[in-house]
Amino acid sequence: MSGFESRLQMSKFLNYTLPNGVNLHIYPTDKFKTIVYSIFLHQNLKKDLAAKTALLPFVLERGSKKWPTTRELVITLEGLYGADIITEILKRGERQIVQFILEIVNPVYVQENGNLEKKGLEVLKEILTNPVVEGGGFKESYVNREKEILANLVKGLINDKVSYAVERCIQEMCREEDYGVYRLGRLEDIEHMDSKNLYSYYQDLLSTAPIDIFVLGKVDPEQTLALMEETFNFPKDKSFDMEPTLVYKEVKEPRYVEERLDVNQGKLTLGYRTNIMVKDEDYYPLLICNGILGAFPHSKLFQNVREKASLAYYASSRLERDKGIMLIASGIEMDNYEKALEIIQKQVESVKAGEISSDELESTRVGFINQVKVTEDSPYQIIGRYLGGIISGRQETQEEIIEQINRVKVEDVVRAAEKIQLDTIYFLRNKE
Amino acid sequence: MAVICERFLENDTIKEKVYVATLDPGLEVFVFPKKGYNKQYASFATQFGSIDNTFYVEGKENLLEVPDGVAHFLEHKLFEGEQGNVFDEFARFGASANAYTNFTMTNYLFSSTDHFEKCFDLLLNFVQDPYFTKESVEKEKGIIAQEIRMYEDNPSWRLFFNLLGSLFAVHPVRKDIAGTVESIMDIDEEVLYKCYRTFYHPSNMALFVVGDLEPERVIHQVIDNLEKKNYQPMGEIKRIYPEEPKNVREKCVREKMEVSQPLLNLGFKDPNVGFTGRELFKKELASELLLEMLFGKASETYTRLYEEGLINDQFGSTFVGEKDYGYSIMGGETPDPDKLYQELLSSIKQYTQGGFREEDFERQRRKMLGEFLRSFNSLEFIANNFLYYHFRDNNLFDFVSLLKEITAEDIQVRLRELFDEKYHSCSIINNNGR
Repeated sequence: MSGFESRLQMSKFLNYTLPNGVNLHIYPTDKFKTIVYSIFLHQNLKKDLAAKTALLPFVLERGSKKWPTTRELVITLEGLYGADIITEILKRGERQIVQFILEIVNPVYVQENGNLEKKGLEVLKEILTNPVVEGGGFKESYVNREKEILANLVKGLINDKVSYAVERCIQEMCREEDYGVYRLGRLEDIEHMDSKNLYSYYQDLLSTAPIDIFVLGKVDPEQTLALMEETFNFPKDKSFDMEPTLVYKEVKEPRYVEERLDVNQGKLTLGYRTNIMVKDEDYYPLLICNGILGAFPHSKLFQNVREKASLAYYASSRLERDKGIMLIASGIEMDNYEKALEIIQKQVESVKAGEISSDELESTRVGFINQVKVTEDSPYQIIGRYLGGIISGRQETQEEIIEQINRVKVEDVVRAAEKIQLDTIYFLRNKE
Repeated sequence: MAVICERFLENDTIKEKVYVATLDPGLEVFVFPKKGYNKQYASFATQFGSIDNTFYVEGKENLLEVPDGVAHFLEHKLFEGEQGNVFDEFARFGASANAYTNFTMTNYLFSSTDHFEKCFDLLLNFVQDPYFTKESVEKEKGIIAQEIRMYEDNPSWRLFFNLLGSLFAVHPVRKDIAGTVESIMDIDEEVLYKCYRTFYHPSNMALFVVGDLEPERVIHQVIDNLEKKNYQPMGEIKRIYPEEPKNVREKCVREKMEVSQPLLNLGFKDPNVGFTGRELFKKELASELLLEMLFGKASETYTRLYEEGLINDQFGSTFVGEKDYGYSIMGGETPDPDKLYQELLSSIKQYTQGGFREEDFERQRRKMLGEFLRSFNSLEFIANNFLYYHFRDNNLFDFVSLLKEITAEDIQVRLRELFDEKYHSCSIINNNGR
């Protein structure tokens, strides 16, 4: 018992490879009320394939051979104290990732006699590897219904104007790159899919895609390893390689894109190329640069666009770190377009010119250190950070990250800022 | 400075404990130790929300009706002190501060990892130190106007408030929390001070702190802080709410927006109100259980409507129960809102006539317990919910025992009273026909 307890204190990932080549990462901790299992299936992001990949979890969640309807699956999970299976489609750089999550209550809290982990994992395994098949394809009625659902989600991007404006800016900016495709794919590709070609695509993908599985919670590593070997024993071929993401790009002339919809508020989005990859030496200076500019309420954008000029409720910047782009977004009165644009660009220029007070630098530094530390308080963030390391090829511990944040000086920030180039100005406004 | 009362609450199922102290002049302080967490999360809340728009100033004789959106406006302005913006001071400690206003409360909060005590002092001090000037109030109008415009373009938000506006005839819950661009123009520093003096007395407030902290130390820090402020006791706050009829204001309200497909919310106004404490909490849980049984992902209704293409997996339902009002809502995106509306009504009719299955009840109860347990991973959930229920004279931990107490008969009763067709409204957002 004491040996087990001391391992629980380690709070780091133990890495294994299952016999079929799947990577397994176990993080034993007794901090949380739940145990989280998370499977990531990596695919290269391609414009014409994105919708196909995105449709997969929708169809898989409809049922398995053992529980052939969504309803039966849900009833089974509800009986396991509301165990939850969630699927997500992520876009990280030019990589599309299908995620399957199972979160169950730590059995300690519910005096469960049966094996809650094992039962939950069986559902997860069924969804992943044992779909309902008919006539050599997925069940056709499921595929047809889920195609509608996916198409509605793609069209539904427009419903939330705040995220719509940011996504549209990215699409315009990266229209010649695979990154320009929405994470759920293109509408026109959805029509062409059928249950047979989708099924064979899935079989291929499951067999050749790099797969990472995470287990986080109060678990015994050896027992878990054995359980995972037994559960995820599906056959796999050699995994394909992940292609690198295009990050470095010189901009000749910024492009202006305007879109008109029936809206009350104008949305101004500026897309920048940072020309810095996560693996580059200038990554942490870039992180700090983005922080000073717009990641916090003390940042230049919030202070100047909102607090001083009273032009907006939100004005912020964020990095898409795996693509090396930075986005500035603000919601403004239509007539204030010129004024807001000028103030925003002035803030970027002032960072490039090194007009950074020690208060701005230090507040940004401790702000990020705070964010790094609180990552440890959420199972999903712990997994997310490690996954980020796998994607970028820069795997670092909390201490290593903090050390590098601490090392950044004003001149480093300026050097990073000088690489940043405005690529696209996107303005969503009302109809004439 | 006196500690009026000190005690702790605990729960065997969740295996957690919270320390509570009542401090003179009536402030309730909660400390919830969470071992091994790096984050500390503190919130300081007052029972002043968007529905508190008519009251006697400082509990005295003069009745005041304030412009819509004043509680939210005050929340924005409290962050500005004589020395500048308090956000910046939190930032120097790496902490992030925030606040929110809802129908019944305003909550100021921060999360930190280092310098907890300094941050905690900042929180205690800025919330107790109003500084409103004509200029700063005017400047804020531009910012809040853009916040309101942002919500005007948010279809789900419009759908929800259109529904409340048609369910309720006169109660201020029918109005948008932030008010309107027009109503906030009538707000000035004077009205903010009047609201502040009425609602920001410690006896109307509570503090909740969660993190790897020592309860004694935290409570002492509050005692030391309050001692310097010289509070006089304040009588009861008299809030005036108009008498809300049982009937709804309108059957159906429609709006056109820039959406990919229409949205529908169907709401039922709870005719059985007036409860507080455990009774209110139990009514809420029974209603939530019932909604899950009727419209959850495992229900026959959900399965059929999903297959027919009338709903997607965003379809959901919820119940809100306050002392003076309550309502249930169900809905989501749909290609045919009128058809979904009729389908939902007829499905409810079937349930009220035919009842439900005992096994569904047991399974939903088990699921709700699991989900509740899971929420205790989140410090934000713990703090926000403890305060929410505390202000309703409840203890969040009672969730577990109440859930066990609820019987199939309780659910039957709720089924009959909550879904009376007389008291429903529907809200629809249609595509503006691009």
